[in-house]
Amino acid sequence: MAAEQWFANLSFYVVALVTLASALGVVLARQVIHAACLLLPTLAGIAALFALLGGHLLMAIQILVYVGAINVLIIFAVLLLHRQVDRQRRILAGTQHLFAGVTGAGAVTLALVVGALFSNLPQLVGGEQGRFGDDVVAGIGEMFLTKYLLAFELTGILLLVTMIGAIVLARKERDQ
Amino acid sequence: MSQYLAVGLTHYLVVAALLFGMGLFAVITRNHAVAVLLGVELMLNAANINLMAFSRFRASAGMAALQGQAFALIVIALAACEAVVGLAIILVLYRNMATVNPDEADELKW
Repeated sequence: MAAEQWFANLSFYVVALVTLASALGVVLARQVIHAACLLLPTLAGIAALFALLGGHLLMAIQILVYVGAINVLIIFAVLLLHRQVDRQRRILAGTQHLFAGVTGAGAVTLALVVGALFSNLPQLVGGEQGRFGDDVVAGIGEMFLTKYLLAFELTGILLLVTMIGAIVLARKERDQ
Repeated sequence: MSQYLAVGLTHYLVVAALLFGMGLFAVITRNHAVAVLLGVELMLNAANINLMAFSRFRASAGMAALQGQAFALIVIALAACEAVVGLAIILVLYRNMATVNPDEADELKW
């Protein structure tokens, strides 16, 4: 087995291990705030898997949407749900080592992602770069505006409806 | 031995299957609504890994190879919608019933 191939396989196993271990933490953590924080390395690891599969656009979107938006929203919601802020603060203070671990694992995963991005790892893992053509982004964009135009537009409408619905649901009721 | 270690479609499918199983386990067992939501997110991500893996290893070259990625993009958008509406519902549930346990929200059951 060539050295590059060996390195590509090794990076898959490391990323898969980080992803599955933190996903196990998400499922088993007793405090919801811990589960929500452990979702961060899980999602970053999945983004790294996307990069190993040759989907750099999807990797970037995964980190932007999931890690940057959805997970932060979930953590905010968990903190909002508990009126006893002191209790939450005590839990956070008592588990600093856990957060150090979470941050470390997340940083390692992100480093792997960056490494996968800037090396020619995707080609090594299987992928001839020419397989998707040189312009993955252009290809996907063209697909959304031609073949999958209906799905694209429906997704846009769904996002609008979701935004309005969330505002209406979460708004405090005014006195009648 | 080394031919099993070489990463292929099966490896990605196994990772996705394990993630999906964990997500399902969380959805069934957790008694906190946000934890259930986290399980759903895990399951959606597992489906995305499958889409990407099949698109990478099984699709013919050219535009067809991008279809898996396009579907995965739509799944991510739907997951964002699901998380936002889910969290809003959980907040309202907490405000009205002072609980986040899905088992206790049974007013509409009978």
